[in-house]
Formats: sequence, C-alpha cells, structure tokens
Amino acid sequence: MLVIIPALNEEASIGHVIATIKAAVPGADILVVNDGSWDATNRVAKNAGAHVVSLPFNLGIGAAMQTGFVFARDRGYDYAVQVDGDGQHDPREIDVILTPVIKGEADTVAGSRYIEDRGYITPWLRRIGIMILAALISLIVRRRVTDPTSGFRASNRRTIEYCAKYYPPDYPEPESIVEFAKKGLHMIEVPATMNPRYGGQSSITPVRSFYYMIKVVLAILVDVVRLSPKG
Amino acid sequence: MLDRITIAIVVGAVALFLIVLDLIRRRKLEEQHSLLWLAAAAGLIVLSLTRDLWEQLVLNIGIAYPPTALFIALFVAMIMILLHFSTVISRLTRQNRKAAQQIGLLEQRLCELEEGQKSLDGRIAQS
Repeated sequence: MLVIIPALNEEASIGHVIATIKAAVPGADILVVNDGSWDATNRVAKNAGAHVVSLPFNLGIGAAMQTGFVFARDRGYDYAVQVDGDGQHDPREIDVILTPVIKGEADTVAGSRYIEDRGYITPWLRRIGIMILAALISLIVRRRVTDPTSGFRASNRRTIEYCAKYYPPDYPEPESIVEFAKKGLHMIEVPATMNPRYGGQSSITPVRSFYYMIKVVLAILVDVVRLSPKG
Repeated sequence: MLDRITIAIVVGAVALFLIVLDLIRRRKLEEQHSLLWLAAAAGLIVLSLTRDLWEQLVLNIGIAYPPTALFIALFVAMIMILLHFSTVISRLTRQNRKAAQQIGLLEQRLCELEEGQKSLDGRIAQS
C-alpha cells in the first residue's frame, strides 16, 4: 500500500504527518509529491523516511496527485491512500477509508467531515460553497455526496490506473467524483475526522475560494458532456 | 476603381504576407502555425482586389459600405487564429505537465539507484 502526500511548502507539518502515518500503518510506503515547494519540504520529507518525487515547478495539486498515481501504477501497488500534507487528516483513520476498498465494497472511498458531526467547524461561507457543490454533484452522480472537496481518499488498483492516465490538474476532488461515476468506478463516503492545520499556511483566500467555486462548477458541468480523454 | 481604403488594405496584407515569409525564412515560425497567417493575408489580398465580384452581394446583405466587409472578414479570421492558438497552448500545457511529472519521477528513481549503488560499493569495499 502506498500513501501519497501532495505537498506545497509544508516544511512545518510534513515531518509530523509522515511520523504519524508510520505509527498508524507501519507496513505502508510513503510518497511525498513535492509540488514545486521553495521551502525545506524536500529535505524534511526525505529525513522522515519518505520517498520524495520533486516536481520541477508548481503544477497544481491534481497534477501532483496524478504523479503519485503514476508512481503507484508503475511500481505495482494495489492500494493508494491520499493524505494531505498539512496534518488535517488523521492517519489513524486510514484503516477506516481503506477497509471498504480492500473488502471490494468500493473502488474508491473518501473520508467525509459532514456525515457525522465530530466538532469540525467550517466557516459558514465555505460551508455554503461545499453544500452547493455537494448538491450539484449528488444530482449528477445520483448518489448522496456530502463532502466533495475531501482529499482524504483510498483507491484500489482500477482507480489508480485510471487516475494515472487522467486526473484533473487543479482543484481535482469534486471533478474527479463526476469522472469516477462516468467511468463506472464505484465511490462511497465514510465518516472521518478533520483536525485544524498542524502548521504552515493554508493556500485558501476569499478570492481564490470564489474562483475555485466558479472553476469547479464549470468543470463539473463540462465533464457531464465531455468525451473521455485519449490515451 | 481601386479606392484608397482598398489600396491601404492591400498594402497592409502584402506587408503581413512578407513578414510571415521572412519569419519562416529565419526559422522563427514553425510552418505549421504560419500557414494560417499566410492564408489570412492571401485571403485578404484576394478579397480586396476582387471587390467588384462581391460588392453587390455585400450591399444586398445590408452592409452599406463594402470595405466594412473586409474588416469583418479580417475580424473573423483573427478570431479563428486566436482560437487555434488557444488549442495549441492547451496542448503545450498538457505536454509540459506530463514532461514535468516524468522529470520528477525519473529524478526520484535515479536517486534511489545511486543510493543503492553507493551502499553496494560500501559493502564491496568492506569485504
């Protein structure tokens, strides 16, 4: 099993994240995809004992994740788990999202903050944005989706192979749910806990959030009619 | 029969044609992209010189001043060229992304191989 951590300037948290993953799932290999960081992410991750793939410049989180999926595909991993580099996901819950995949109940599983209330507080504006996205996506995939932006996911070999070939380059999570449904990859959500950031800076600002909403909604609507990518 | 605006457009189009040819000659423009520009310039020259042929048609459509039709044609050609470049940029972006991902993956493999080699060398030196 491979744990993929996309990271942009996460020197403050990445060491802690890798250490907690190692403690939670001792057998797993860990890959940090450094998406053009200009801090010490690279060195900290290597010292913590992770594989590190360093992209020569910033490509966007989706393209970074895709790099991880290519790595997983080429080295023959059967399962891949995505954990964010900022410490918001609890590695002790990797088991929770991975078990349904191993049991064959789903091709991919996402941890959702909003199935059960576990005290995670979302700013109300962002909560509204997420609810709009969730409603739109639920309508398209005809299944209830509660947390479309969750980057805490587990995937089986079929999903790895698909994502290695095609994965949205930026803001990938909501769009990929629609893509998976179109491709017949079965996705489910399970309850998960989200912590506040462990350290470092979030890349989210109000202007970016607005741009994010517009871009993601457009991408999803285009996805509905778009032809499958070639090759 | 050639009024001043027609002459101006022909001169402009011929200049564009020559500039494109020169860029190709100096290998600053890939022929693939230059064809569009050459076609646009050539089309504009032909249209300006054959005004008698299409003037009546244009008047019938409801364009009162025929040279306007030239500008419309030029405008449409510009939009097409810009759209073409958007698709070219999209393709380059995709290729660039893939190349960057490969560089990252290959660099990681190289480091791994070098470290393996080093530890192997170390063991050979010890024994």
